Amino acid sequence: MKKLFAATVGILALCLLLAFGDYALNRQTNQSGRRTVTIYNWGDYVDPALISKFEQQTGYHVDYETFDSNESMLTKIRQGGTNYDLVIPSEYTVQRMKREHLIAPLDHRKLPNLHYIDPQFMNRSFDPGNRYSVPYFWGTLGIIYNDQMVDGRDVQHWSQLWNPRLKNNVMLIDSARDVFAMALITQGDSVNTTNYHQLRKAQRHLKQLTPNVKAIIADEMKMYMEQNEAAVGVTYSGDAREMMSVNHHLHYVVPSEGSNIWFDNMVIPKAARNKAAAYQFINFMLEPANAAQNARYVGYATPNRKAKQLLPKRVTADRAFYPPRTTMKHLQTYRDLPLHVLGEYNDLFLEFKMFAK
Amino acid sequence: MKKHHFTWGGLYLALVFVILYAPILYLMIFSFSAGKTMEKYHGFSFQHYADLFADGRMITIVINTLIVALLASLIATIIGTMGALVIKDSRGTWRNSLLSLNNVLMVSPDVIIGASFLIFFTVLGIRLGFMSVLLSHIAFCIPIVVLMVLPKLNELSPTLVDAAYDLGASRWQALSRVVLPAIAPGIFAGYFMALTYSLDDFAVTFFVTGNGFSTLSVEIYSRARQGINLEINALSTLMFFVSLLLVIGYYFISKHSGRRNRIVAVKEGDAQ
Repeated sequence: MKKLFAATVGILALCLLLAFGDYALNRQTNQSGRRTVTIYNWGDYVDPALISKFEQQTGYHVDYETFDSNESMLTKIRQGGTNYDLVIPSEYTVQRMKREHLIAPLDHRKLPNLHYIDPQFMNRSFDPGNRYSVPYFWGTLGIIYNDQMVDGRDVQHWSQLWNPRLKNNVMLIDSARDVFAMALITQGDSVNTTNYHQLRKAQRHLKQLTPNVKAIIADEMKMYMEQNEAAVGVTYSGDAREMMSVNHHLHYVVPSEGSNIWFDNMVIPKAARNKAAAYQFINFMLEPANAAQNARYVGYATPNRKAKQLLPKRVTADRAFYPPRTTMKHLQTYRDLPLHVLGEYNDLFLEFKMFAK
Repeated sequence: MKKHHFTWGGLYLALVFVILYAPILYLMIFSFSAGKTMEKYHGFSFQHYADLFADGRMITIVINTLIVALLASLIATIIGTMGALVIKDSRGTWRNSLLSLNNVLMVSPDVIIGASFLIFFTVLGIRLGFMSVLLSHIAFCIPIVVLMVLPKLNELSPTLVDAAYDLGASRWQALSRVVLPAIAPGIFAGYFMALTYSLDDFAVTFFVTGNGFSTLSVEIYSRARQGINLEINALSTLMFFVSLLLVIGYYFISKHSGRRNRIVAVKEGDAQ
């Protein structure tokens, strides 16, 4: 009994010590009052130095919380019980949040720095007039190839992936929308098609790709491509950049006939408690110097025109990550489709996967 | 002294341990790499440890995680031990249904428990944060404690308790002087099991964190899209050594108290 009692006291003392450490630590970083702003973002998706800078400049204390997928984030916002002031979802989730009345319209007068955003990234179909969202980073879907195993000229376009010479050498990202986007673009259809015949045709086309498909995988693709396991992969620009930093024989191409372009965007939920701070934070992140610093840290492409000029030339001249205007014109964003159509995409994709292996 | 001979069993055991520990070792080695990824080793450096200690947010999260784990498993141990005592004293279908209800919580998927907690807390109007995480951790730790304490209670000879009552012990005295000391190893084991469950839980915790409060597992999962930073390796290495120290400490404590128990036993033998 004595031993149990001593252990209990010991544990409580340890908790108290830790709580005191926590208190001391947070007092250090936050001497200026209790006004807090809560930000909900992907993990490791902002330069921590910028958060401290924002805290010093404005006197707000930033609570930074993270999520690992749009869907799980949406679940928590929908359920309530939380008061996030600023959230950073992808574009199709912005559309869904808008439809479910989870986010508040933005007052553009409170965002004087909005004009730094390149006009080509404004007013996209997922949020006309940027009434609800401000782009944070963007990227593309494209082809990554290994120059030791394939000639770069042979993998500039989606249709070239069907070339029999690439037998058992193509890896696909395990995502119905992305794989169908590739097939739909080669046959000249929209990546947001709701026409079942077009989808079926795309699936028949995909089935012809089967002999070339080595694997349909998710994150493991990074590892396989880095280790020269396959010549070609279909993946996102962010992942491609990571692979290229490890294996210098890898190159990334955005097919000029079109591809998907995705955006992560800053939005203010309806339940936000500190909207003024959220506006200040958006403005702060739109400041060219800050946006450039953030782009250097995260490594994704920034939609901020002025910030892009501040980045090193070798980054912004890279046509793979900042594609030329002619290609940009053909890039399409995903729209949030009705559930039954998404079901068709998924079913047809599942059928294709079963057929593949 | 028995000599160590080569046996297939020994080889198998060694193989199992190598397989279990190799990934941890691999991760620890890369925490000292100067590079940024786990692809290639770039020479020795403490860079990632420096990054970790400079990252105030990360340290806060670690502290939060530890406080929740320590407190939740403590409270769960108290409640769970009381529960085990009740189950032990109950009879027949009542006892079986209590045990089954306890086991259902053990086997039901974490995701479902987490989602139902989220709905529960929001309906009650409890703000997500420290309290919601603590309450849910206590809840899913209780069944584990019950399962660890119950076998010890069943081992305990009922004549021992009867003897205590015969010698004039009150209910409280019988509990605190006889029953609890006898089942103490089970209680400690339950506490440590609850501690590990609470420390590494992601599924339940994800649903009930909020408003700036987060735990380590939630934070690490959410970094997956960007690729896990080697800072996490550094942190894991430190946590591994802390748990190693705890295990060694636990070993010495139990060895020490084991010897004392033997002495008591010998004295009792003398008295007879």
